[in-house]
Formats: sequence, C-alpha cells, structure tokens
Amino acid sequence: MLNSSAAGSPLAVDASGVAKSFGSVTALSGIDLAVPAGTLAALLGPNGAGKTTLVRIVATLTRPDRGRVRVLGFDVAAQPGEVRRRIGLTGQFAGLDDALSGTENLVLIGRLAGLRRREARARASQVAELVAMASAAGRSVRTYSGGMRRRLDLAASLMTSPPLLVLDEPTTGLDPASRQQLWQALAGLRAAGTTMLLTTQYLEEADRFADQVHVLDRGAIIASGTPAQLKSLVGGQVVEIALADPGAGQSAAGYPAANCLAAGYPAPDGLALDAEAVARALAGRLDLPPGSVRAESSARRLTVLTRTGTDGDAGVLLDVAAALRADGVPVADLALRQPSLDEAFLALTGRPEVAA
Amino acid sequence: MTAAGTAPAGAGAGHAAVLPHLRYRLVRDTGLIAGRYLRVLRRNPGRLIYPLLQPLVLLTLFLSVFGNLAAGRNAAPGAYREFLVPGIIIQNAALTAPTTGLALLRDAGSGLADRFRSLPMSRPAVLLGRLGGDAVIYAVQAALLLGVATVLGFTVRTGLAGAAGIVNIAVAFGLAISVLSAWLALLINDAETAERVLFFPAIAIAFVSSAFAPVADLAGWMRPVARFNPVSAAADLIRTLAAGGPAARPFWLLACWIAVLVAVPGVLAVRRWQASP
Repeated sequence: MLNSSAAGSPLAVDASGVAKSFGSVTALSGIDLAVPAGTLAALLGPNGAGKTTLVRIVATLTRPDRGRVRVLGFDVAAQPGEVRRRIGLTGQFAGLDDALSGTENLVLIGRLAGLRRREARARASQVAELVAMASAAGRSVRTYSGGMRRRLDLAASLMTSPPLLVLDEPTTGLDPASRQQLWQALAGLRAAGTTMLLTTQYLEEADRFADQVHVLDRGAIIASGTPAQLKSLVGGQVVEIALADPGAGQSAAGYPAANCLAAGYPAPDGLALDAEAVARALAGRLDLPPGSVRAESSARRLTVLTRTGTDGDAGVLLDVAAALRADGVPVADLALRQPSLDEAFLALTGRPEVAA
Repeated sequence: MTAAGTAPAGAGAGHAAVLPHLRYRLVRDTGLIAGRYLRVLRRNPGRLIYPLLQPLVLLTLFLSVFGNLAAGRNAAPGAYREFLVPGIIIQNAALTAPTTGLALLRDAGSGLADRFRSLPMSRPAVLLGRLGGDAVIYAVQAALLLGVATVLGFTVRTGLAGAAGIVNIAVAFGLAISVLSAWLALLINDAETAERVLFFPAIAIAFVSSAFAPVADLAGWMRPVARFNPVSAAADLIRTLAAGGPAARPFWLLACWIAVLVAVPGVLAVRRWQASP
C-alpha cells in the first residue's frame, strides 16, 4: 500500500483492522484507512466491495465486528454521539421528507442537529444558496428532480457546518450537468477546509477531485494513493491502435493474406479484420500476457498495456508498429499515452469497474 | 449564527450546534418530530380524510341506520345509540392506529432513517414524536365524533368533564394500539405487506368486542375473545363515563391493557428502530 505524505496533519478518519460480516457474507475483512483532515478521500471499488459498509461504520450507522475507528478523535463505538455532532452524512438515498418543502426539511434537520430555530432558518437559506437551490427551497421536495434532491440532501448535511462530510455515491444516477453542479458545491466546501470521505463509481471523478484514492475489492483495501500513484502502479504505458477500415479506400485484396494466415488471423476475404484475433496475435508477437492487449467493443480499436517502457520512452510504440507491419495489419492511427485510472483499476482488481 | 459567517462549512468554523442536556433533548426532539408530522398534514390536508372525515361519515351512517334500535332485552328505543357511539369512537381509533406503523416504515425505507440515525438527536424521539402527532389526531377525531354524535342525539351525562375524559380515553387507547402497530410494522419490515396485514387485525378486534353489540349477544365462540379485548375495555369505560356510573373497574381494566400494550411492544419497537444492521 502506498502511503501519502500526510505526516503531521491530524487524521479526520483513523480506522484500523475494521471487519464486518452480515451473516456468512464478509463485507469488510480488516480495513486500515487514514484520511488526513482537510483532504478528499475517495473509496473506489466494484459493487459489493464494501464501500458503503465502510462509510456507514464511519457515520456510526453500522457497528464494526472488529477493529477501531476514530472520527475526528472520537471512537465511533464508544462515543457515537460526539461523532454525530461533527459529521454530515449524504447517504445513497436522499434523507428528506417528500411531503415538506426544501426549507422545512433543512430547518427540521438543523434543529434535530441541535440548532436553535433562528439559527436553523438562517443557516437553511445559506446552505440552499450554496448548493444552488435557493429558488426552489420553498417548493415541496416531491416536485424536485433527482439532481435537486441530491443537492438539497447535501445541503441538509451541511446545516451544522460539519468538519467531516461522508458521502455515499453522491453523484450516482445524476445527469452530467447535475453532477457538475454537485461537484462545484463540493469543491467549494473543500476549499473551505471540509474533510470529505466519499464513495464513487465514476473513476474520472476520483481522478479529478480526490487527494487520495482507496481501491476496495472483496472487503479489503488493495491499493491506496494519489490518482497519479495508482496509475503508475499499472507500470509502463499504453499504446492505442486504430485499425484501418478495409472497406474505405483500400481493397481487402490488398492485404497480404499469407501474412495474416501465418499470424493466425482469419483470412480477410473482403471482410473487416477480427480485432480480437489481432489482439491475440499481437500479444504473442510482443510476448505479453494475453490480457494486456484488449480489443475494444467498437472492434476497430486496440489498447496494448505494457509493463516495459516509461514516460518519454517511445520504444514500445516502435515495437508495436513493427509487429503490426510484420503481420500486415492495416493501421489508421497509433498513439502512446499514460494509463488511465480505469486501467489502473482493471489491473488492480482484475476486472472492469462496471462488473457487479 | 455563531459560526460559519462567510466560510460555509470550514473545518475550523466549528459547528453552531447547541446541545442541550440529554433528557431535555428527548422532549425537544419529540416535539420537533411531532411538529414534522403535523406540518405534513397541514401541507397535505388530503391526508386528514381518512382519520377525521371518514369516521364522521361512518358515525352518521351507523347512527341513522341503527340509532333508534333498542339495545338489550328491556331497553328503551334509542338506547342502542348510547351503546354504539362509544364503540364507534374506539373502533375508529383502532382503525387509525395502523397509519403509525406505516408512517414509521415509510421513514425507515427512505433515506430519512439513516439521516436521523446520523444526527446527534434522541433516538426514541423518532417513535415518540410520531406518537405525539398521532395523539393530536386521536384527540381531534374523538372530539369531532363526540360533537357530531351529540347533534345526532348522543348524551354525555357527566357534562364537559366527562367529554374531556372520553377524548382522553380515546387518545390513550389509540396510542397504545399505535405502539403495537409500530412494532408490528417494523417487524414485518415491508411497506406493502404491512399495509395489507395491519388493518385486518384492527378490524377483527373492533368487531370481536363489545364495540357494536353487548358481549352477551355475540356468537358463542366470540364471547371469551370479546371479554378479553382492549376495545371492549375502552368502549365500556367510555359508556360508564357517558352514563355517569362507577368507573373504577373499567378504568383499571383499560389501564392494565394500555400498560401492557405500551410496555412490551413499545420497548420492542424502539429497540427495533435503533437496531442498526
């Protein structure tokens, strides 16, 4: 596990050896997690990896079977009340009363959190402003869109200005514009110093916003680090290949069929080359494990994940080009780039993020 | 605002939360949750049709159809009216009680349960607050029923004090059944199932009781059940109070029922609400 340089700064979340089972299902098996104050930590992982269980434990909603969790210096099991005074939770489902207006919800939640009536009212209009909901706050929550609900829910968890925000998939199910608005609000909070622990299914969000990314898989943290550190875990570089369209401009007969056959491709009898077959043959020629050359679903693009080569070293690109030429594979475009967080995730968990 | 003037939620801004003493919090939070339910009713007056309007329609229909019957062997015409009204008051309280459990279940199934559990609020207040809101509904329901029944010929011989007593009995009985419905709903833990299951026993205990007919006139197999039934106890107490007879025995009988209903399912319901997975 990579350790970021957080030495000296106090920890907002300090968890060690956290385990939790539901019946025979192990949700978490000994998690260590440190979130320095003032940072944004993202929990990433496939569905069922234990992300929600972990944030629920931090938010005092679930008790761990084993291990110790301290939130802003307070133990979640021994002093849940102290923890609750200092956190704001935005759960997977909006914690709002549909039959009340936005403002009524905010005031109720603020007052239950301990604010006096006048404070709660003043704060409600502040937080509604903050999440761009001021104009809709008087309306019944029932009339809100999914994005508005999410933003009001976030506003509700900000009523007491908590130093730690816990967000469980705050942007799931939102359209891109709503997601953008929510992230704007979160960015403003982070700039003001709020610590955030969030789960997300969107790798590009973690990439763009998180200081630290923790990758969960089957109840364990399998990697932690900055997005850049995680990407470098993949090692090497990525070559992207766009196959030429044999139908356009060139005739299929122009391909050296003998070469294709020798390399194990199906003969290009006037049809498009099989990208999967090209991927297999290329892996063989470059002496790479089969999984590192992937044909994308569009069937005309391939990515080659190499463990050799570093930034600024185009040797890999030349090797790939030579292999393709040797097999006579028509290529429209070749490019060299750094791995994405998606590829890091795939390399770490052995499967794509979307797989449940 | 004592905190977070311009910086909206800074870590250093602290929190403006004022946390009164825990015992005071229970009362305060219960009031806030009760206020929430009453506010919802004010914004959605349609929700009052079931607990307030429908009972009045039922009462009017029942009294118009059966009001002039004689009750018992040698009673005067119209005596059945005096017998029936207390039964209808209690029957309606029993039929309103399932809404308590359903409302709690709705909250438990939405994100609100997690929201409440993550707040530094008193946990029993979620249930107690709902009961507080329900108490208002039961009181208004009983008062309206009494008022309309009086117009239709029902008499409370003990005057206003007796009427106030009757309203209080309806509230206490309704809340006890509400507690039972809260526990059952949380036990069933599925809104749709609960909706279909909870009303049935409410109807059954109302009919297999002395609400609509003296126990002696019920089918033989019903009589032991009807005698051992909180609906009978509550209706009998209201009858005694309306007629002005000695109320000690029915009072203590009902008090025992309420104590049992509140204590056992109440503790179980609060525990179930608090139990985090």
